[in-house]
Amino acid sequence: MEFLFNIYIFPGILFILTWAVFVFWFFRKILATLHKRVGPHYNGYAGTMQTFYDFSKLLTKESITPKGVNSYLFSSIPLIAPMLAIIPVVFIPWMPNFVIINSSYGVLGLVVLIGIEPFLLFLTGFGSNNKYSFLGGIRILTQMISMETSFFLSALSPALLFSTMNLTEIADMSSWLSTLILLPGAMLFFVSILGILEQPPFNIPDAEQEIVYGFYTEYSGTNYFLLKLAEFAEFLVTFAAMVTLFFGGYHGLFFDGFICLFVKMLIFAVLMIAIRASNPRLRLSQMLEFAWRYLVPLNLLNIVWILYAKQFILGD
Amino acid sequence: MENIKELFEPFNTQYMELYKENWLKVKLESSSDLLDVARVIKNYGIRSIATVSPTDFIEDNIFEMNYFFEDLNTYKNVWLKVDIPREFSECKIDSITPLFAGANWHEREAHSMYGVHFINHPDLSWFIISADYYGKFPFRKGFDWKAHEQNLIENMNTIVDDLYDEHNANDEKFDGSKTILNWGPTHPASGPIRLKVEVDGEEILAIEPDIGYVWRALEHLVEEKDFLGSIVALERICFMDNTNSMICYAQAVEEIAGKEITDFAKMMRVLLGEIGRIVSHLMGIGGFFNTMGLMTLFMWAIDLREYFLDVLENYSGARVATASIEPGGVRYPLNMKTLELLDVAIEEYERTKDDFYNIFLKNPLMKSRATKVGIITKDEVHDFSLCGIVARASGVKTDIRLDEPYAAYDKIDMDYMIEENGAAKNRLDVLFKEIAQSISILKQASSDLRDGIKSQIYNPQKDHLVKIPKKLPAGEAISRVEWSRGELMMHLVTQEKATSPYRLKIKAPSFNHTMILEHLLKGQTLSDIPLVFGSLYICQGDLDR
Repeated sequence: MEFLFNIYIFPGILFILTWAVFVFWFFRKILATLHKRVGPHYNGYAGTMQTFYDFSKLLTKESITPKGVNSYLFSSIPLIAPMLAIIPVVFIPWMPNFVIINSSYGVLGLVVLIGIEPFLLFLTGFGSNNKYSFLGGIRILTQMISMETSFFLSALSPALLFSTMNLTEIADMSSWLSTLILLPGAMLFFVSILGILEQPPFNIPDAEQEIVYGFYTEYSGTNYFLLKLAEFAEFLVTFAAMVTLFFGGYHGLFFDGFICLFVKMLIFAVLMIAIRASNPRLRLSQMLEFAWRYLVPLNLLNIVWILYAKQFILGD
Repeated sequence: MENIKELFEPFNTQYMELYKENWLKVKLESSSDLLDVARVIKNYGIRSIATVSPTDFIEDNIFEMNYFFEDLNTYKNVWLKVDIPREFSECKIDSITPLFAGANWHEREAHSMYGVHFINHPDLSWFIISADYYGKFPFRKGFDWKAHEQNLIENMNTIVDDLYDEHNANDEKFDGSKTILNWGPTHPASGPIRLKVEVDGEEILAIEPDIGYVWRALEHLVEEKDFLGSIVALERICFMDNTNSMICYAQAVEEIAGKEITDFAKMMRVLLGEIGRIVSHLMGIGGFFNTMGLMTLFMWAIDLREYFLDVLENYSGARVATASIEPGGVRYPLNMKTLELLDVAIEEYERTKDDFYNIFLKNPLMKSRATKVGIITKDEVHDFSLCGIVARASGVKTDIRLDEPYAAYDKIDMDYMIEENGAAKNRLDVLFKEIAQSISILKQASSDLRDGIKSQIYNPQKDHLVKIPKKLPAGEAISRVEWSRGELMMHLVTQEKATSPYRLKIKAPSFNHTMILEHLLKGQTLSDIPLVFGSLYICQGDLDR
């Protein structure tokens, strides 16, 4: 019974769907405020039902498969992508004494499963038989290779500091001091996930003004909905991973619980939207230069700092 | 001026006269002299050509070719005319493109519209018109538009076939990683223009702009309307700044009619023209950031723009297509509420400008992208006859408001807003500076109007319009204004007792600015297309007309 509850309700399908509906509305509303607009307004209280209607519209629309594509490849990726994006939720301790798989390799599972996702999206671009999609696919591959190096390195820092890969233990062992030590690592991690989630200023693979919608261009209807769902599941997982790894997970100032984790995640969502509202997109070559010339060396320095702090500050 | 006159001594001329202060109007005896004359003019130092415009005199069976040579340094210009025969077989003239690179597209346009054959032109392919007009030369007098439109299905098929032919030809031509990527006409950032981008991966090998997707044949349309009715066609050259294009046309009509408008109307034209400029520039700065995926400034600028549209609405009843300026002055009397709303708009600008400046103009990511691409040198400005903010961002002092003051700009205290490097970022800087400049002009104009009304020099209820006769004498005039995108020039020709223009040539700034696109983007990457394109501040409306 509990198994079924986990799959279908929390932290499974219903939770992911609710999250997608909520966070899409939340992004729109925050971005609208920063734009001096109103945003979703008419459906539901403050437009809360708008994204629900949008998603249900997409689900009922026809999915068009263009001529001349490998239809197996074209249609199977939108199925695999959300499944793969949802799996990492099993490693995350959502609330005290609640984690589906309490593995001592939690960090590893998390980063590998997050890291594999973009390669699926590359395949969508590759399989669309469209010049814009293909360029988008190539771009996503280029970006992933550069950004994931930094992503893996920065995700390593809490594991090194606490000498464990178990996410529950990492969350429990964190303190004000350790958060402070991990702060540079957290910032590098945040920049890396901006690259992995293709958020501005790294929204190069689906740069609308250059290559239309990148790898999404040919997708419509249900397939598009599934790809979007994968994207929002990825938001959920990366934000939760960031909060758990660097900011004490479900621990709060006054009480522990899911709500603390959730509020922390929303803070980073707002930060992400604020960056999106104030920064233009980079060029592909600039992103490569930034990733390899600055981000990766800084990450290596960060590892050195973590080892130093572990030895001499925490006095392990 | 005397020096320029001497240039023409070796050649046979029908007449040579001064036109306004800055123009020398010359008619050559024979078209075979044209290339030599052009060479002499270029060697003298006049390096730009505004436009090439044939006028079709069907009764005399001739085309009168008009060449408008401009010097952006001394502002002393030459208006060259020459007659050529009208028959298809003999309608030939030497191309001046090898000497003046800026004439390239203008000659292609003249060829597509009138069938003038330019000898030695590098690429005289069809331009602006769609496939169903190929070889029919629609702007010739006597072309039957109605008969053409009756074959609608046939015309559509011709266009579609043409598209498929081109597509198949490209498929055969390219293989491997090289391909043609269409940037437009249904692209999120392009607007109705199509750039055929030949790419190798992300690198641009060549760009060929394909324009004409919003071709409304405005130059022909006004020939069907009367002099007053034409303003509603001409304000639609580009919706972003619609007042200045009407000023340009109204001035040409007034010149032929020989009427002088009142000082009050002149000052009102300054006021409305500057509001039009601000409204357009606000969209311009927003559009610049849109090309890099940042929509915030666009939204904020649109928000501020609404306050200025309020002023236009209060004055004319319409927010965008105002039809507020007509030959003889301005269309409506002024009530003081309009000026009060203007104060509100200026206050709102003062309140928000620092945010605009600090958040967006200082953005390091924008600087890192935009300071090194799309660089236009001073020489290129002269050679390609660029104007407006594009020329000023490269350090060329050209601004019709100062070079050849019209309306009441001679009473206004202003200066050239220039930048040195000519990169995309500099053009954005010039836009920001010009908004501030326009605000200062608006303040001067509104205080002048207020003083004038107070001391009863101006009568806001009566002075706004002088009567322009419905029928004009035969004549021709050129009129130039500083539009928000650059120099807008209209060449108006009328015949005796005319009720509508016989020929109106519109020289639009975006035309020349698009011409330089290939030169700027060759060897860059795909990411730079929207940025450079956006920074040139092109409007497809005045590109196609």
